[in-house]
Amino acid sequence: MIVMRIAIARVRALFRRDATTDEIREELQFHVQMRTDEYTRHGMDARAARQAALRRFGNLAVIQDRGYDVRGGGVMETMLQDLKYGFRQVGQHRSFSIVAVLTLALGVGVSTALFSVIDAALLRPLPYPHPEELVTLNVDETTQGSQPSRYAPSIADIRTWRNLTTIISHAGNGRVSGFVPLIVETGAPQRLTVAEASEDFLDAYGVNPILGRGIQLDDTREGASAVALLGHAFWQREFGGDPHVLGRDIRIQNRVVTIVGVLPAGFFNDTAVWQARQVSSAWLDNRGSGTPAIARLRPGVTLAQAAAALDSVTPPSTMMGPTPVPARVVIQSMYDDETEQFGPTIRTLSMAVGLILIIACVNVAGLMLARGATRDVELAIRASIGAGRGRLVRQLLTESLVLAIAGALIGVLLAYASLDSLVALIPLSLPANSPVAINGTVLAFALGLTVATALLFGLVPALKLSRAPKMISTMLSVGGRSGAPLSKRAGQWLIGVEIALALVLMTGSGLILRSFAKLVSVDLGFDTANVVTLEVEPLDQTAAMRREYYVSLANELRRLPEVVSAGAIDQLALTGGGSYAFPTADTGANVEGPQRTVLPGYLEAMGVRALAGRLLENADLVSGEAVVVNVTVSERYFGSAPIGHTLRVGDKNPREWRIVGVVPNIRHSGPEGRVEPQMYVLPDPHVSGPFSMTLAMVMRLRGRESVPLDRLKQIAEAVGPRVLVGRARPAAAVLGEHVAKPRHRMLLLTLLGVFGLLLTLVGIFSMTAYAVARRTREIGVRLAFGARPAQVVGVMVRDAVWPVIFGLLAGVAGTYYATRIITSFLFQTAPHDPATLVAVVALLGAAACLAAWFPATRAASVDPVTALRAE
Amino acid sequence: MQRPTNSDQLHGTLDMLVLKVLESGPLHGYAIAVRLERMSKDVLNVEEGSLYPALYRMERRGWVASAWAVTETGRRARVYKLTKAGRAQLEAETTSWLRLTTAVAHVLHG
Repeated sequence: MIVMRIAIARVRALFRRDATTDEIREELQFHVQMRTDEYTRHGMDARAARQAALRRFGNLAVIQDRGYDVRGGGVMETMLQDLKYGFRQVGQHRSFSIVAVLTLALGVGVSTALFSVIDAALLRPLPYPHPEELVTLNVDETTQGSQPSRYAPSIADIRTWRNLTTIISHAGNGRVSGFVPLIVETGAPQRLTVAEASEDFLDAYGVNPILGRGIQLDDTREGASAVALLGHAFWQREFGGDPHVLGRDIRIQNRVVTIVGVLPAGFFNDTAVWQARQVSSAWLDNRGSGTPAIARLRPGVTLAQAAAALDSVTPPSTMMGPTPVPARVVIQSMYDDETEQFGPTIRTLSMAVGLILIIACVNVAGLMLARGATRDVELAIRASIGAGRGRLVRQLLTESLVLAIAGALIGVLLAYASLDSLVALIPLSLPANSPVAINGTVLAFALGLTVATALLFGLVPALKLSRAPKMISTMLSVGGRSGAPLSKRAGQWLIGVEIALALVLMTGSGLILRSFAKLVSVDLGFDTANVVTLEVEPLDQTAAMRREYYVSLANELRRLPEVVSAGAIDQLALTGGGSYAFPTADTGANVEGPQRTVLPGYLEAMGVRALAGRLLENADLVSGEAVVVNVTVSERYFGSAPIGHTLRVGDKNPREWRIVGVVPNIRHSGPEGRVEPQMYVLPDPHVSGPFSMTLAMVMRLRGRESVPLDRLKQIAEAVGPRVLVGRARPAAAVLGEHVAKPRHRMLLLTLLGVFGLLLTLVGIFSMTAYAVARRTREIGVRLAFGARPAQVVGVMVRDAVWPVIFGLLAGVAGTYYATRIITSFLFQTAPHDPATLVAVVALLGAAACLAAWFPATRAASVDPVTALRAE
Repeated sequence: MQRPTNSDQLHGTLDMLVLKVLESGPLHGYAIAVRLERMSKDVLNVEEGSLYPALYRMERRGWVASAWAVTETGRRARVYKLTKAGRAQLEAETTSWLRLTTAVAHVLHG
């Protein structure tokens, strides 16, 4: 009954906003009128009677307001009232609000930014129709008694599978980028990313050309006229979006290719041209081309069903000898294939960002508690005039919400502003076709987060403070100004929690930082300082002409006064790739290791010295027989005396290499790479035909000299008629790119660690400052009774130090579990590296004590007389 | 629906007196104030208006119910009456009050 009545009253108030106010006003007016009538009956004149009645009644407006507080309007009205009050509170305590809002902005900002990455990487990595139907396909061939070898399916496999029309709707293969970007000529030659695809490849993605047609079966036959589709961005850039581009020719290396279509925007934007992949009939059955196969399953077909069906039609392999090798189809959802690499990084970042968010919330909770402690009189009064505990909790939560919304607005703006830098820093190869953006999903997340944070940091203080009214008599008896220990315990808890969380976060950052320091301090065996690399490619030339060109260019560069030494290499150190050689030594040993084709001067330019024998010289180019090996080859195959020995390589056109020198082990593949038996060989002078050897020039400059790119370009063009000059980069930049991911990971986590530390310090500082402010009288008394300032500081700091110590202990325990998730990112660093832990504990502990010490010293400088007069 | 009276003495006393006044029948706020005045000079000494928040609070707790009515002088007034819960509350308060005063009297008279 009662509940019903209250409910009805509330609903009525909701629709008739001022009904409650009107009722109260009328009722109170009635009372005043009755009293006035009584006084007039006793002979007072009307005006005096009314004045007396009002005086007797008390403050009409205040009582009306209090009455309203108790009766309460509708839900909406209360909320508006709370909001208004919340805003007033936020506006009145400006420094509190600024700290709280900025803290929350930081927490919400980093969370939102990270979520936008998660959104792109995990929620919508495949922006194609029905991405769940997309699969990648491979074939495992298992020779008896050995591990299965995984190969990309052959074209014949794909065509066979495509016939299973109840299982597969489309299947094809393609490679988004070749081994190297190819030269495309529209007007001027450019090095661009060129993809190749079979028929049905684009159909499987569900992507349709916006102009022209896709790649058809006939285009992929040997000898068919070469056709290609243009990527949207390239079409815009190079052809100005010309709709009549179809039928025009472009040159890709030495082939003339006809444009038959244009792809839509957003489909592999970095790929300029999609060529039809032509496979000669002899290679149709060849597995292991390295070109990935994809397919689209019929709706509702499961991976297991598809695998079983595909297996039943997949023939064993007869490539490896007379015994057929059984083949099994490996089918994986494209989503898993695309996203499994993101797991560890996203888990790590989510954890770091989550910690920051929680620290931010704890911080604001502490601030609210601290400020709340000075508000207990106000709250007690509100309660004594009839506000129930629920009402007080709601009021305090609304204040939290006001803070959270303000924080979130700034946070989302921060996220928006820093998104590009974040994406540049994120150590992930994000999906090519789903750019990171602050979209509806991300905003919805931010909104949810805002409400969640408001509850998280608002609930504890709200529950705690709404109990204040119980203590009203205590408080009033001491003047309501002493340091009622209302929130001391809670504040200490919060400091402890904050320290523990910050310790976990900072230990993670510390480990990554230490690991990165180890990574970059690895001796690579070469010196990148003052070394410049230049990518140059002569066009339309035979192998012999190219070789001549590079040799002449190296000689020209060597003539420059700034250049100490110059050479060239087929694969720049730290850029990955490169080929292996399997020569047989004259001792009978089968040598196996990476082979680098270089021009004389390369090793000198990289600052490599011969340990034995000599380095390569221009005179060696004539026969091309001289080879320099590293220490590993020397020790492993020649008992450390390799000079003069020969290596024989190749079956059809065998070459013989004569070892002329030994150099130290050079980590061509970077600090985390293995040291392998390495051979530095010269270009084969006998190779003829169109084989296109591409070298990168490497030169060491004198001191701090530099050579402008224009000048290099001029020289490169002067040596040969048609050359494509690519990037000129300092070798240090190449190294920098190589360790970009670990560096970005290090930067991001260090940044997050610093945020965590700062937030924690702000938290401890402000909580101590409030505690000190509340205890001014106590401090005054202590000082008046002769306590030394140092003792007062000690008392104040001690209140903060114990929670810090407990927080550190709990944090150390927490790191034991938390740092496991970053194990895969650590280089020569244990996840429980004691040095890192000790350093972080010391740093955090010292900083925390300082943060408590500063406000405490302020307390000790209080003049006892002033402090006591404050009462 | 009976709640423990955990508010301070001022509230408790005022509430109890209002309930007592309403025991004899429904009254509007002014009439309650007049009766209270007669019963005790002190309770509403400060501000008569404080009666109203107290009435609203008791209404929310379900001890009193109210409705608009027209007085004999033709004015619209809000009239309060005791509910069943209010009666029970009054009884409980009275008992505990008597127990307290008896105890105090005991102490005082040794």
